[in-house]
Amino acid sequence: MPWLMIVIAAIFEVGWVVGLKHATSVLHWIGTVICIGLSFALLILAGKKLPVSTVYAVFVGLGTAGTVSVDILFFNHPFDGVQIILITILLSGVIGLKFVTDSENKSKEEGDKWPGSV
Amino acid sequence: MAWISLIVAGLFEMLGVTFINQLHEKRNAASFFLLVISFSASFLFLALAMKSLPMGVAYAVWTGIGTIGAALLGMLFYGESKKASRLFCIGLVLAATIGLKLVS
Repeated sequence: MPWLMIVIAAIFEVGWVVGLKHATSVLHWIGTVICIGLSFALLILAGKKLPVSTVYAVFVGLGTAGTVSVDILFFNHPFDGVQIILITILLSGVIGLKFVTDSENKSKEEGDKWPGSV
Repeated sequence: MAWISLIVAGLFEMLGVTFINQLHEKRNAASFFLLVISFSASFLFLALAMKSLPMGVAYAVWTGIGTIGAALLGMLFYGESKKASRLFCIGLVLAATIGLKLVS
């Protein structure tokens, strides 16, 4: 169940990213804000059931991959191999940071705080 | 310029995350208010940056700056670990960001 929450959160994440770039009407913007809220809420819910670092890492990975894919598939963004490789490297750094930090904090305390704090 | 806007967005994101922690500890209205302002500013500058940058690039860099910004803040002000693996990951994010800027 929490894994499903992460996937849905990532879908809403892609939703607001698309909205942020392509919204033109008030309805679009309302939809964008709703996506932001839902994505955030689901992320927090998932974080109660699974290690926060894992949740965040998977979420960010799916969100980024989803955004790039949607851009290529629906918005005619050219498939740029170099760009995709660089984005992957960037993501590796973000996810790596979560995991190397988390492994050290596991010995400090049981409760997980929000990713940014560790 | 779009990249400056993107960096500013990342910085506000980083700021917002620190307010999440502060809210966790202090639980007052001021912390919540500052949190809302920070994240709102972050989204605003991200939207600005995305006018001229691809969605995936902007989103990835924004996430990256927010994450490493929060990590650096933690290292500088909260005594969090500066071990090599963390610094390496931060370096990866920075290198990739610079690379994306160069190829854009």
